[in-house]
Amino acid sequence: MARSHNPVSRFGLWAVFVILAVLPLILRGYQLRLVTEVIIFSLYAVSYNLLLGYAGLLSFGHAMFFGTGAFAVAILLEHFAGLPLLLAVTLATAFTTATGFVVGCLLLRVKGTPFALLTLAFNALFYAIAVKWSSLTGGDDGLIIDPPQLDLWLLTLDPNKGPDFYYLSLAILGPVILFCWYFTYTAMGRTVLLMRENEDRMRFLGYNTLLARLSLFTLTAGLAGLAGSIYSLFFAFVSIDAISIETTTTVLLMTFIGGTGHFAGPILGAGVFIYLQNFLSELTENWPLIMGVLFILMVLFTPGGLVGIIKGAAQWTASRRKTPDLRKGAKNRHAHSGS
Amino acid sequence: MPILEAKGIHKDFSGLEVLTGVDFQLAAGERFAIIGPNGAGKTTLFNILSGAFSPTRGNVLFKGEDISRKPPHLRNRLGMSRSFQITNVFKEISVFDNVLAGVRSREGLRCHYLRRPFKNRGLLERTDEILMQVGLENERDTPAHELAYGQQRALEMGITLSTAPDLILLDEPTAGMSRQETEDAVQMIRRVTESKACIIIEHDMNVVFSLADRISVLHYGVILACGLPEEIRNDQRVKDAYLGQDNQ
Ligand SMILES: Nc1ncnc2c1ncn2[C@@H]1O[C@H](COP(=O)(O)OP(=O)(O)OP(=O)(O)O)[C@@H](O)[C@H]1O
Ligand SMILES: [Mg+2]
Repeated sequence: MARSHNPVSRFGLWAVFVILAVLPLILRGYQLRLVTEVIIFSLYAVSYNLLLGYAGLLSFGHAMFFGTGAFAVAILLEHFAGLPLLLAVTLATAFTTATGFVVGCLLLRVKGTPFALLTLAFNALFYAIAVKWSSLTGGDDGLIIDPPQLDLWLLTLDPNKGPDFYYLSLAILGPVILFCWYFTYTAMGRTVLLMRENEDRMRFLGYNTLLARLSLFTLTAGLAGLAGSIYSLFFAFVSIDAISIETTTTVLLMTFIGGTGHFAGPILGAGVFIYLQNFLSELTENWPLIMGVLFILMVLFTPGGLVGIIKGAAQWTASRRKTPDLRKGAKNRHAHSGS
Repeated sequence: MPILEAKGIHKDFSGLEVLTGVDFQLAAGERFAIIGPNGAGKTTLFNILSGAFSPTRGNVLFKGEDISRKPPHLRNRLGMSRSFQITNVFKEISVFDNVLAGVRSREGLRCHYLRRPFKNRGLLERTDEILMQVGLENERDTPAHELAYGQQRALEMGITLSTAPDLILLDEPTAGMSRQETEDAVQMIRRVTESKACIIIEHDMNVVFSLADRISVLHYGVILACGLPEEIRNDQRVKDAYLGQDNQ
């Protein structure tokens, strides 16, 4: 359990931090934009995996929160001239969190298939509202955003500049992703995991499981909303695509490709997805088809996703090098990867 | 004041009347056994006491408070904990984490977003203590589903004890165990329920007679007889209804 003290992972964390900090010196323009996009979608996918991988809740409606955050920040900036950037993001996240709470209350007593279907229905409802309420959302045309400059004490960041926006999103989303990682070790994070295993028993141990699920659902909605708000600032534009079923499918694919059994899975998945999408869309118009086939193959043959493959390979090499009694420890370290 | 009181408990499942007026009282520190043939409604009674479902009629009083309509988690927080006839543990999780779940619940560390249970020395020590009590100290890191059957029953017991209850409800704790395992389990149950109130459902008469201060016989939805072990052993109605035919 004491993985956070593992010197290797601690070193790895610092290495990642340093690399991310100097990245704009190495990558320019378009390449840096891709990394920024990966960071944004990482939080979206991480928040999704807290539901899917940790709580065992398959949602087909995560885009409704991503889209709510994306639209909220755009609408706020449009209607309140002079609103500071960070305040707009904070308000958009708060609004999405509240939305998540309301939807969560309506979903309180359902799990499994009914949960999946109802989230799908809610997503469709949100989408319909966004289309109909075109005076607010811009309908099919979408909304163009003019993100204001961010004045920090000595420093002014211009969201229209690639490196500036990169640092901005890293500074906001990086700590939030780290918090999500920390969260999986907290009382609530462990509770969510135990509830997936055996919710019934939890009730007889003093846990209010309905409240716990509502609380988690609200959290993941807020996180998706934050990712969405940064997303629309990044493109300086938001359209109803942000709230569509495709955006739900995107997060589902990212999480599955990366693997639900490890915290880093969805981050890896977001990276692979975005680079692959970028690469394939340059080759052919039919890139969604190739992505679809790839996804089917992965679900069929590597249900653990990419992290599943990596873990399997690591275990295989370890078992070749040493006596095989490492297995017990390895199993426990990833207790949540279970099923 | 009795720690637990059942008053006229009725339960029907859409027409099937399983309990038809169960009354009893349990004193603090008392070990109480409920025996009765298969399908008598013993587990149903536990479900009603622990809050799995509400009685159709009647009341449950715990520590003087009417808890008949309270959900299970609130009853547990009041100091009541139950085990399950069919082992009901967290299968993919380590034995230690299984027990830690209840230990931290008792301390109110259930849904905290910042505090980490595995950083809390007191909780870890308390968990290890319980693992010692139920004899699982060497299986700390084993996922529950890899345990042998007897050990799974011990874990079931450990989880039940983990919230430090004042009233312990045990549903056939020795069912399916070998003779040796049963003997060990009886010793263990005697130790961990020392000076606590306990209700135990059991088919094994040796277990019942060696543990219980008082015995009730549940038969066709009512309590047929209730008394000291000696009285029950010699009760003619009980012999006719139960002991004669089903005494393994
Ligand atoms: N949730 C339920 N819905 C419908 N019927 C039920 C339910 N639970 C129990 N019953 C019925 O109630 C009766 C009593 O069951 P219960 O499990 O309480 O018996 P028991 O005394 O514990 O038996 P055993 O010794 O076999 O464990 C049975 O006929 C059972 O089919
Ligand atoms: Mg039973």
